[in-house]
Amino acid sequence: MSSRRSRLELIFDILLAIQNKGGMIKPTHLMYKSNLSHKLLNSYLEELVQKGLVTIAEEQSRKKQNSTKKVVITEKGLGFLAEFRRMREFTDAFGL
Amino acid sequence: MYRLFFTPEWFNGWDLVFDTVSLLIAFLIAAYSWQIYRIHKEKRFGYFSLAFILVTLGLVFKIITQGVLYFTTVRDVAADILRPIAGERLSLSYLYYRGGFFVEMVFLLGAWLLIYLVSQKPRERLKRFDEVTQIALFMYLIVLISIVSNFEYYVFYLTSAVFLGLIILNYYRNYLNKENINTFRVMLSFLFVFMGNLFFVFVFAWNGFYALGELFQLIGFLLLLYTYQKVIQR
Repeated sequence: MSSRRSRLELIFDILLAIQNKGGMIKPTHLMYKSNLSHKLLNSYLEELVQKGLVTIAEEQSRKKQNSTKKVVITEKGLGFLAEFRRMREFTDAFGL
Repeated sequence: MYRLFFTPEWFNGWDLVFDTVSLLIAFLIAAYSWQIYRIHKEKRFGYFSLAFILVTLGLVFKIITQGVLYFTTVRDVAADILRPIAGERLSLSYLYYRGGFFVEMVFLLGAWLLIYLVSQKPRERLKRFDEVTQIALFMYLIVLISIVSNFEYYVFYLTSAVFLGLIILNYYRNYLNKENINTFRVMLSFLFVFMGNLFFVFVFAWNGFYALGELFQLIGFLLLLYTYQKVIQR
């Protein structure tokens, strides 16, 4: 069984899920992709928006005539992903 | 004049250059792991950073102590400073050299031990209480070994080689688990540092082993730098 993910690993998983979907994802999809509860995801998203790693965009739906929310990764978020990958590579290499 | 052991004349000074390169690499790795520690706030990154800081400091003390021994001008200046305190016999200069080598040994042995402990998998690490008591015991042994090594220098290099051998085993396991080229490079770099320390043990038989030891140690650190570069470039 895999061990519990740290706070930073959770943030990495959230941002990675957004990046893998082309930089934009629906909150419900993000919930499944990052394997988090609705409550926990919302608290993390709030923090990520505050830190400027993601933004919430409203998108108009043509069929339903209403708007849907989407989570968009920012440049800063992409930078965090790259830095986290480097750190992970370093810790793997040195067995930390 | 006090000497830990006699080094080949033609190599005097080159070892200081080699050690300076090694200490810069050690400092670079310490700085990066400190950066990771500041972000993750996990003890293991702090310990790893501390270990490489200790390597850096150990090498700094080695360079200063050896440098004073090699260069007559520097040695004369040091002697002039120490003479008023020590008198004509300059017994304090012995204390200075012994002190310099002692600090180098404590820092380097402490660093290898810390890397060994940190490179173990978490499940194999000791519980907090055991960790504190065993680290205290290890520190006592390191100080003891460093004192003895001032009289029988090879004890230090032999102990370093044992610690480095254990580190290599940890990194070999890490390589088997991860099967990543960078884990292999890290294992290989410690293997070179290990071989360097083995060569140092046999300087009493032929002083050319000192140059070989320094060369292997430098290759080890350069390989660490190469691995660091590969990791950072990704």
